Amino acid sequence: MNPEVLILWGAALATLGVYSILYRENPVSRLFEHIFVGLSAGYLVFTTWTQNLEGKWWNPMVQERHWYWIFAPVVGALFYFIYSRRLVWLARLVMGLFFGTAAGTFLREFFPIYSPNIYASFKSLRPTAAALAAGPGGAWSDVIIHNWIFIVILLTVMSYFFFSIPHEGPVGRNLGRTSLLGRWFLMIAFGAMFGNTVMARISLFIGRVQFLLKDWLGHYWPWFASRGF
Amino acid sequence: MAEGQVEESGTTGFWQRMQQIPRYYVYLLLAGVVVWQLLLPIRMPIVPSAATIGLYEAIKAVPDDKLIVISTDWDASTQAETGPQTTAVVNACFQLKKRFAIMNMQPPMGVKLSNDIAVELGKQYGARYGVDWANWGYKYGYGNVLMAMAKDIPKAIGDDFYGKPVTRLPMMAGVKDIKSVGLVIEITGLATMTETWIGLIQGPYQVPFASAYTAVMAPGYYPFLDSGQMKGMLVGAKGAAEMEVLVNRPGQATTIMNVQSWAHVLIIALIILGNVGYVLGRRRRQEPVR
Repeated sequence: MNPEVLILWGAALATLGVYSILYRENPVSRLFEHIFVGLSAGYLVFTTWTQNLEGKWWNPMVQERHWYWIFAPVVGALFYFIYSRRLVWLARLVMGLFFGTAAGTFLREFFPIYSPNIYASFKSLRPTAAALAAGPGGAWSDVIIHNWIFIVILLTVMSYFFFSIPHEGPVGRNLGRTSLLGRWFLMIAFGAMFGNTVMARISLFIGRVQFLLKDWLGHYWPWFASRGF
Repeated sequence: MAEGQVEESGTTGFWQRMQQIPRYYVYLLLAGVVVWQLLLPIRMPIVPSAATIGLYEAIKAVPDDKLIVISTDWDASTQAETGPQTTAVVNACFQLKKRFAIMNMQPPMGVKLSNDIAVELGKQYGARYGVDWANWGYKYGYGNVLMAMAKDIPKAIGDDFYGKPVTRLPMMAGVKDIKSVGLVIEITGLATMTETWIGLIQGPYQVPFASAYTAVMAPGYYPFLDSGQMKGMLVGAKGAAEMEVLVNRPGQATTIMNVQSWAHVLIIALIILGNVGYVLGRRRRQEPVR
């Protein structure tokens, strides 16, 4: 059999097999799920070697005689001392090294990521002509409406996460009202996110149906392939 | 009939049934709509959004002496969205004659899948590998790779996807550090990749940044667009379809979005039916039967 046809049938059966879970939990669906996970893991090992380790570690060590690279896997192997009660401190040593590096990197990333976000949340409720010209564009009224909506939602949602004052008494009751409004805004945002999630899932489904119709069935019945999708 | 008992009228029965449609029927209905619209489509218009136009304009604005880096951090599980996004972005780069390099940090399958897309489109545009575009391959190490790239790109990348040193590629002549990059486009279905790019490259070195996400994760990144940290953004297959409109090459995303619209009509109708049934059912349960 032509290998391309074999691949086509394999992909079609895998698609149908995985989607059979929509009917009920079954061994066929599980089988293809495990095949997919196994293939992904195998491909990860293969590409890690060919695209990274071979060029950056093995070749310099073996061909260019940079013998000190031998210590890299030795340090990595220290992780396995987590299984030894007596020598677990060696694993902790290398873990500490990694935690420290990760924490340092995150600290470096933190301010460039979030400080512009915070700065952008300070919006003018009466923007000047100069501020309008510097902004993303739009009519004066549009910008005003946008900024007011933004500030109201920002403050009410933040008040929802303010738990230090009980919702009693004059101040507490008003805080309760704004936090309720904030909760409604959050619900609207979650609805929008869920809508996007539905869109994403259906896109994936359409992609597989496209494959089944155009590539698989279209291979045998050209009418399917000629539909222009 | 006892007080409070639900009256078994024809109307109540219908709305109750609407709430109890077996899920198989819903799946079958959805599959039916998808197949119908793929085979006999009724086209709906696609209008590019400001976020998509932003990404297109960002590609257009890249100076000729600078590279575009397309970080394709996706795999087969999100291919229906990220695949067309990559196709649309690569199309735009070829059309606007911008040199670009594909790279991948996670998951590694993306580097092969996006390479196939670039090879196929490169043939259509008569583009040459190593001159007009390159594939830097899968580079493990996230932030470490980016920090190394910021100082010395050829050293950080080493070999390309085909195992050839990137220094031998003609398009890499003059490429030294991150200042040689005019735009980074992150195409991904994974959270945190954007934060890594923004935190280590866009923020400290002011390299323009844009992105393309699966629709699931896109809402969380609008604040970055609002703050100007991102020049543009493609949201799922919708963003890819809008990009296809801008590059005037309707493709898979345009088809997906057309089918998607009809699938949404079905889902909205089912949600309305289910909720009306729920409200009417509750009202009936609360009303005592006279």
